[in-house]
Amino acid sequence: MGTALSPEDAESRLRARFGQDILAFEEQHGHAVATVSTDRYRDVCRFLREEPEFACDYCDFTGGVDFGPERGFEVVTHLFSTTHHHNVRVKVKLPHEDPACPTVSDLFPTSDWHERETMEMFGIRFEGHPQPVKLLLSEPFEGQPLRKDFPLMTREVKPWPGLVEGEDVEDEE
Amino acid sequence: MGLITEKTPLPKIQPVKFLLNWGRRYSLWVMNFGLACCAIELIATSTSKHDFIRLGVIPFAHGPRQADLLVVAGTLTDKMAPALKRVYDQIPDPKYVISFGSCSNCGGPYWDSYSVTKGVDQVVPVDVYVPGCPPRPEALLHGIVKLQEKIKDEDIQEKWASGHSAVS
Repeated sequence: MGTALSPEDAESRLRARFGQDILAFEEQHGHAVATVSTDRYRDVCRFLREEPEFACDYCDFTGGVDFGPERGFEVVTHLFSTTHHHNVRVKVKLPHEDPACPTVSDLFPTSDWHERETMEMFGIRFEGHPQPVKLLLSEPFEGQPLRKDFPLMTREVKPWPGLVEGEDVEDEE
Repeated sequence: MGLITEKTPLPKIQPVKFLLNWGRRYSLWVMNFGLACCAIELIATSTSKHDFIRLGVIPFAHGPRQADLLVVAGTLTDKMAPALKRVYDQIPDPKYVISFGSCSNCGGPYWDSYSVTKGVDQVVPVDVYVPGCPPRPEALLHGIVKLQEKIKDEDIQEKWASGHSAVS
């Protein structure tokens, strides 16, 4: 078994290799979290997989985050190394209008279904995905249910009853 | 109990009706349609501690064609709904449905979900609703007793005449 890279070491190695394409770097719960440019996303993932010091051979998940119309979407890919036992998350920022992200399903086969789920839930296109069809939702389902602007019809009729007095409703912010 | 159809001759004689309903209500073969955590309570009801066989509910029919009673236990999603309808349609008449748990009654904690069917009564007609999240096995026993009371007073010819079959 190898030695786990600390987030600081991971940062210096990634910055040395990719420079300006590492847009931001932080440490969360002892994991290295790198925000990278969309163009180099695949290169970063391939580097993390093939570089012996990282050796991230397992993709834990790929998911999406909706930050609203101004901040757009984020695609988060969590990579884990079964030899070094360290975690690296790679984030890509995408615009709210027509979000498109390169696929990593050819590098990490586990991300195939995760990308399909992210695709149907957020409407994010994964360019180069071998099978870009819905995974969990039924075929006639319309809309992207995990987007913040997706209307929940029941809540249109009856607001959520669990709201505590003084708590801000999201629309009023 | 054999298959009862519209053509089965059932004279309107009180002892015959009583005997028929007495036989039917104590031999309910149950179809296990467990969808979520409520299924655990349903299975617990069938095992030795609560043992619904002593009420004549026989666990579990090997397929819908051998069942009399369908217990929908758990969260029904819109994607699963056609399967429930299909299982219900495959059960021979006379058939009964118990909706077990809040999710199958009305959506329960998933009342505002984008994927959950809010109430299985949108898909199949329900005879008895058992509330709870999940309900205890005793609650299902109570639901079964309520269903048996319902069967006791049933006139099978009226049931046929009133167009009892599934919601289309």
